Formats: sequence, C-alpha cells, structure tokens
Amino acid sequence: MSVRTNYTVYESPRLQILSEDQKEKILNGMMRTLQYTGAHVHHEKARELFKKAGCKVDGVTVYFPPEVILKALSTVPPVTEVFPWDGNKEKKVVVEKNRSYFGPGPTPPNFIDTDTMERRKYLRKDANIVARVCDALPNIGFVQSLGSISDVTNDLADVYEFADMVRNTTTPIMSWSFTREGCRDIHRIAIAMAGGEEEFRQRPNYIFYGEPISPLVSDFHAIDKCMYCAENRIPQVYSPCAIGGGTVPATHAGQLVVALSESMVGVIAAQLINPGTCVIIGGVQSILDMRYSIYSYGAPELSLLSSALTEVVQYCGLPMYSQSGCTDTKKMDMQSALEASLSINAAMMSGANFVHDNGYTESGLTGDVFQTVMDDELISMARVIERSFDVNKETLSVDVIDSVGPGGHYLYEDHTMKWFRTYWMPTLMDRNSYEGWVEEGRKTMKDRIIEKTRDLIDNYEGPRGKVPAQADKEIERILQEAEKRAKESESK
Amino acid sequence: MKINQTINKSPQFRVLSEDQIEQIYFSALEVMERTGGVVYHEGALELFKNSDALVEGNRVRIPITMVEEALKSYPRKITLKGRNGKRSLFLEKDMVSFGTGSDLPFTLDMNTGERRNTTYKDVSDASKLVDALSNFDFHMSHGIVTDAPNPQTYDRHQFMAMLENCTKPMVVTSVDGEGLEDLWKMGCLIQGGEHEFRLNPMFVVYIEPISPLKNDSTAVEKLLFAAEKRIPAMYTPCPSSGATAPATIAGMLVQSLAETLLAIVMCHLKNPGMPLIMGGVTTLLDMRKSTYSYGAPELSLASAANTDISKWLNLIMFSTGGCTDAKILDEQAASEQMMNLFYSYLSGANLIHDVGYIDHGTTASLESLVLNQEMIGMVKQFGKGINTDDEHLALDLIEKQGPGGEYVTTDHTFKYWKEWFMPQLQDRSDYETWVKNGSKTMGQRLKERTQHLLDTYQPEPLDEKLRKELKKICEDADKRHM
Repeated sequence: MSVRTNYTVYESPRLQILSEDQKEKILNGMMRTLQYTGAHVHHEKARELFKKAGCKVDGVTVYFPPEVILKALSTVPPVTEVFPWDGNKEKKVVVEKNRSYFGPGPTPPNFIDTDTMERRKYLRKDANIVARVCDALPNIGFVQSLGSISDVTNDLADVYEFADMVRNTTTPIMSWSFTREGCRDIHRIAIAMAGGEEEFRQRPNYIFYGEPISPLVSDFHAIDKCMYCAENRIPQVYSPCAIGGGTVPATHAGQLVVALSESMVGVIAAQLINPGTCVIIGGVQSILDMRYSIYSYGAPELSLLSSALTEVVQYCGLPMYSQSGCTDTKKMDMQSALEASLSINAAMMSGANFVHDNGYTESGLTGDVFQTVMDDELISMARVIERSFDVNKETLSVDVIDSVGPGGHYLYEDHTMKWFRTYWMPTLMDRNSYEGWVEEGRKTMKDRIIEKTRDLIDNYEGPRGKVPAQADKEIERILQEAEKRAKESESK
Repeated sequence: MKINQTINKSPQFRVLSEDQIEQIYFSALEVMERTGGVVYHEGALELFKNSDALVEGNRVRIPITMVEEALKSYPRKITLKGRNGKRSLFLEKDMVSFGTGSDLPFTLDMNTGERRNTTYKDVSDASKLVDALSNFDFHMSHGIVTDAPNPQTYDRHQFMAMLENCTKPMVVTSVDGEGLEDLWKMGCLIQGGEHEFRLNPMFVVYIEPISPLKNDSTAVEKLLFAAEKRIPAMYTPCPSSGATAPATIAGMLVQSLAETLLAIVMCHLKNPGMPLIMGGVTTLLDMRKSTYSYGAPELSLASAANTDISKWLNLIMFSTGGCTDAKILDEQAASEQMMNLFYSYLSGANLIHDVGYIDHGTTASLESLVLNQEMIGMVKQFGKGINTDDEHLALDLIEKQGPGGEYVTTDHTFKYWKEWFMPQLQDRSDYETWVKNGSKTMGQRLKERTQHLLDTYQPEPLDEKLRKELKKICEDADKRHM
C-alpha cells in the first residue's frame, strides 16, 4: 500500500488581515508612541515603579523606552490555565494562542427583563439569571454579568455580582470592580471557592477585567487594580474601549497603535511587579457613528479592527480580549442577528482568546440574555468553520462513490450512517419544510429564542447546590464586612 | 519610505492546504477512471466513443490523460457585458461578484406576508431591484415565471422580464437546447451579432448535472450547444451530502469535482476552449427534516473549500451565499445569510449566487434582496483590510493630541471617517431618538425601503425596436409549442 509523505493539512481555515510587515509597523508604532508621546499614569507608586525600571517620568506622563517594553514582553506567559471551581475539566480555560472562548460582557446599566421583555435598570436577580443561563450554554466559555447591579449598596455592585454569579456557574468568571477594595473582596470570595490561598495560586478560578482610558491614560483605579492582580497573580485583562474618531484616530491603523500602547502600560506594570503573571489585552475596538454620536457595536469596522488587533497582539506574544455578538439594535430583530453573525464569525476566524460582549444590545447600553442565547447558536455554527473537515481516505469516499455508482443514492450506506452524525445540528435554526413550519405555529427565531431562554431560567438549577457550605458561609461573611465598610465610609 | 514591504490589501483566507486540494483532485481523478459517470445523450456518447474513453451502454469512464489535457484548454478569465454596454463583470481569480439565484417557485408576498406562486411581475420586480442595488453585480431570475403561456417556453418570457428591468450581466436558465438557442439569439440581438456576443457575452447559462455522476439528455443538449457556440456556461451540481453525495464534505467535493471534470472532457471533445465555470451548491440533507439546507454552516465551509480547489485548477468559481432556510425574514434569515455571505466573499469566489433565497431555496423575497444589499456592504467593508501607510498610522497626530486628548474635532478624523461603512438599514440612533421615530424594527425599515425602491426606481428602458424583435422570438417559440 502506498503511503503519503510531505503532507501538510490546514486543521482550520486561515484568515490573515495583516501581513508580517504590517504587524511590525503597528508594533513599532506602539514602541514609538510609548517612547515619544508617553502615557499618563495617575498613580504615584506606579510611576515610581516605571521610573525605577528605566522610564522617564515627567509629571503624570511616563515615557517607556523600548527595552522596558521588550523586557515586559519577554516575561509574559505563553500559556495560563483557569480552573472551574468544581474541577470540571470540560470547562477549564486554557489561555494560549489561537484558542478561543466566547462570553458576555460587563456593566451595561440596563437589562431586558426576561418576563416583560422591557428595558429597565439591571437588578441583582439578573446576575443570577445570566450566570445560570451561561452555565447551561455549551458555547459560552467564560461569564460576565451583562450589567451593573442597581439595587444593592451603591459601591458594592461589583462584589454582590461576583458573590452571586460564582455560586451559580462553574464556568470561569471575568469579574470587575470599582476600586482595589472591591478587587480584594472578590479575590477573597474566589479564594473561598478555591479552598484556600495556596489552592488559588495553583489553580486560579477567575479572571479580572480592568480598563485604561483612551487615549493613553491609566487612571488611578485602573492601574491600582492592575497592580493588585499582578501582586496576587490573578489573570487579568487590561484593555481599553477605543472609539475610532473619538478617543483614537479615525484611521484603523492609528487606532490599533493607540489601543496597543495603552494596554501595554498595564502589561509592563504587571510584569515588573510579578514576572510571568497573565495579562490579556485588546479591548473594544469600534468607531463613533458621526451622525448620532453613538459608539457602534454593530459596525463592520468592529470586526475588522478586532481581527487585525488580534493578529498584532498575538505577534506580541500576548492573549487577546476581543468582542462579538453585540449590536446597536434596541429590540431584538434582524439587525441584532446580522450584526452578531458577522462579528462572531470574524472573531472566530481571528483566533482571539476571549471574545466578549455576546449579549450586548443598544450599543453596549443594555444587556440582553436572549441575545446571548442567540449568540450561543451562532458561535456553534462558527465553530463548524473553525473545525473545518478531515481530508483522508475514508472521508474522500472514493469507495462509497464507486459502490453507489452514477445515479445511485447514499441514504442507506453505512458510510452515510456513520458520517452524517458529524454534521452540525441546530437548536434554534429552523430546518422544517414550509408545511412543517406552518404546522408548528409559524414561529420566528425570536419566538424560539424566548422559549429556550425562559426554559433555562425556569428549569436549569445550575451548580448552586454544589457550593461547599464552608465557602457559602465565608462569602456571606465577606458581604457583611463589605456592607459594614461601606456604611463606615458613608458616615465619614 | 520603506522598501521590501508586503502589504495585505485585503484579508487572506483559505480553508485547504495545497496538499489537501491535491488529494481531493487525485481522488476525483480516481473516480473518473474507476467509476466514471452516466450520460443519457447519444451525441455525447458518440463523442466519447471516438475518444480514449471507455463507453459501456451509458456508462463512461475517462482516462486521466484526457482530463488533464482538457483542463488546459479552459479560459482563466471571462468578461461579461450587460445590455447597458458596460463590461462590468470580470470573472478572474479572486475577483468577487454577487448576484441572485434563479427559478424559485414561490414568493413571499411583501404585502400579505404569505407564500404564493411566483409570477412574471415578481421576476420583473426582482430584476428592477437588482438593477437598482449597487452590491448586486449579476442577475439571475430569482423567481420562476409560473404564469407564462406555456411551461415549454417560460424561459424566453422569464428572460424578457429580466431584460426589461435590469441592465446588468446575467446568468440564465433554459428549458432545453431549443430554449437556450432562443435565449442566445436574443443575447446576440442585444450585443449586435454572434461574434459580438462571443467577445462581449451578456450572460452565462446555468446547467446542472444530477448527482451522483449523472448527465441527463436535456442538460447535455444545452451544454453541447453552449460548447458549440462558445456561450459561457456553468455545469454545476447541487449535491446533497448524505443523499446524493457522500456524507462527508471531502467526499462531496470529490464527487462534485468528478461531475465537473466529466463535463470538462465532454465540452473539450465537442469544441475546445469554451468558457466553462465550476462550482455549485454544496450542502447537506438535514436528516431529521429531509430538507436540503441553504443555511447550514457546512454550506459555507464546503463552498469556501471548493473555491480553493477552483483557484488551484485555474477555473472560474460559481459559489453560494446570502441564502437561508428561514421561511420568513427573521433573525435566522439575517444571521444565516450574513454567515454564508462572509465566507463566500472571503474565499474569493467569482460568482456568488442565490443571494436573497429563503426557505431552503424554494421561496423568493424582494425584501431579502434589499436586506442583502446592506449585508454585502458590511462584508465588503471587512474585506477592505487595514491601510497601514503613514497617514493612516497617524503617529504624528497621536503625538499631537497626546494622552487624554480627543480626535472628534481633528481634520484627520473629518477626512477619514468617510472611509467607514455607512449603513442604510441598520439603526444607530440613541434609544430616545429610536422611540421618537416610532420604535421601528429592521423588518419595518426594510419593507419601507423596498417599497420605496419599487415605487421610484426606473431602469433604463429597452430600445423599442429591439424590444419588439426580442418579443418576436418569444412569440415564435410560443407558436411552435402551441
């Protein structure tokens, strides 16, 4: 039997937006910007840290020479693992090049009420819903809340959110906080879930999300939280929401340079404090719609910018925080679907590590878990392209083509029985005949999405019952202490 | 100025490695020699008998040498000129164009929201929209004229409906060889003669074999006529993976390539050098519902892989996109159409057809065409890639605005935001404005836009004398088939 040699396969399709030369240009643009334009760092200790490392500091402006940037890039880890608190290997997150996870996003003020379908303020009960629904969705690999809780003590929305969510999903959470104090509370909760500090260090169970401000500003809290995460070796995101034509240049290349530069400030700080700690960069990249002054979450430029930035970030050896599944629409319709479809497929092909904002509507101002459920289906479709198909003797099917013969039929072949199962099966896409569709009540996809989501909300319990009693008690204690602290600072 | 720079002017996308493409091609060659195909056409069988092929009854097996010899004789480029006189459709490697599909028996009525039979009027309306919509580069009938005087001559009337309302290059379908001859005569009348048509063809004729590996007499009759007159033609199968093709994408591509190769040899024997196009609709049978899926992700994947193969073979590719299984225009329609548009575009297929199809390729929808205009625009915007020249890199500007600065009021922004995509149907207003404007969904905006185009757009009319001559061909055909 002859054997094939010198054989290369594409395990998945190849999408490349930028050439090597273009990536280098943008990387060098970042080097030049950080060296000559510098960045504002509103944190004295951070500036001291940078100065000690060899940066020039002038007031709040820090100028980073290339050797400082290169040194930081030399200690970023090639791979980091994040572990679900129940030890479920299926849900483990491996942060490494071209391995992608999709999830919702943090902090919109509004939420689509899952009973009334009306837009209103985000409530504490919504965090529970989002956590459980995401826990059940097979294509959601990390969880964010899709809102900012409005009905708890003002400064504790971040802590309550994490405390509630972590007990309702084992899928790793990406948390956020207002300040270092919230950051610490969240971390204590995570340690309680991990079963101790040493256990957490061995097996971190969440990722922290923080953002600098475009252009080129690290405000006190952003860099302060970044430093806290680095000290405690918490995997973290440090990425801006860059607004093309607003806070960064209107040209994509310029936008990428600025976005990369401001993230790099966090990378450098984290690597100086704790070399080898995981920092994920990237962020929301889109444009300002000049007619309405709206930061567009549905523009095709969002997909193009994010895919290109993913390539540059990978070129730097860093993991990428990208976005998809989001829309400018106010109420789920075709616009939500087509905008999500484009951004999800683009993000999938780019190979970004964490693709967030699946479930963002109204240009990032309203969280909608129905959108997340739709996105889950679109992500699984995009995975079909990512996985591609096998080309080998059996799949090439020359034997079965011959045995069926011209004019024949494949339905009853063993080969068919074996292989048709590998095809993707929809859960929300309708493949009925017209008559079958009429018979089943002429449902739109939106009708099916609402049914599926409400079924999950009503019937899917999630891991709440599996939370160790000890951890549960500890979390309640942390919340009480936080309340006490909030009261004290209020009375001051 | 930097030297030795390579710039990606557009995204680069590929599904298969060269080794994988070769393996699919070699497997198709294996099918040609080992399995062959069946041909139900005496003239074609005669051609094969006079060659090195082995003919047993209707079964034809073809030696590889014949295939590889024939492959060399096909043009790598076809240019089409619509009746508007513009050579506008350039079919060559990595040049992408979008167009409708053809012959849908049903139409989703815009006014009633109900499905009904497609009429002459529907084809006219679709043709008008295709003419009006800038992202449609070629036109297929979208619907089938079911109210023609005679089903044996409907194709001439359908072509008339298209010609009267659309000036762009076309892909046409015909009932049989005689029908194609009439369409070709009409095309020659428009272009000014047989030689003129050959230099400036105004249409490609769509013909399909029957999977697996079967060529019926009508299809072959049309194909051989096209070969004789050098009419650009596509002979493209619609394999249904799991039913009429193996239940693997690789196997489906092997078989559909073998089907194409058989036609390539057949046309070469008839008249070497005809402009023949490969491709087709490569998708699967949904086993639970027994439907042929136009929205499956596998359609996108198989089509993009097939495009990789076409480029390797130096053949022009007819691919599929902008289609859905949804019965109406809803979230499913929008997301499936967007997905397959995205991949067919990235793959660099030359003719992307079936744009606007809904309901598994059985129902036409005018609004769907207008919806796709917007989505193609978005996909093309993605395809523009990233310009990294100094002006776009904007380092001086970044330094000037500095940390904490703004870009809204800069001249640079004023100049370059115009490079962005400008949506026509997507809403980007704030919540209050949206409510003030009536809380409209995209479906409502789409309906208004479609109606507006139908009410206001006037395609360039056909010359009256020419119209009469064309009409006469249709009437003569009707008389012959009374």
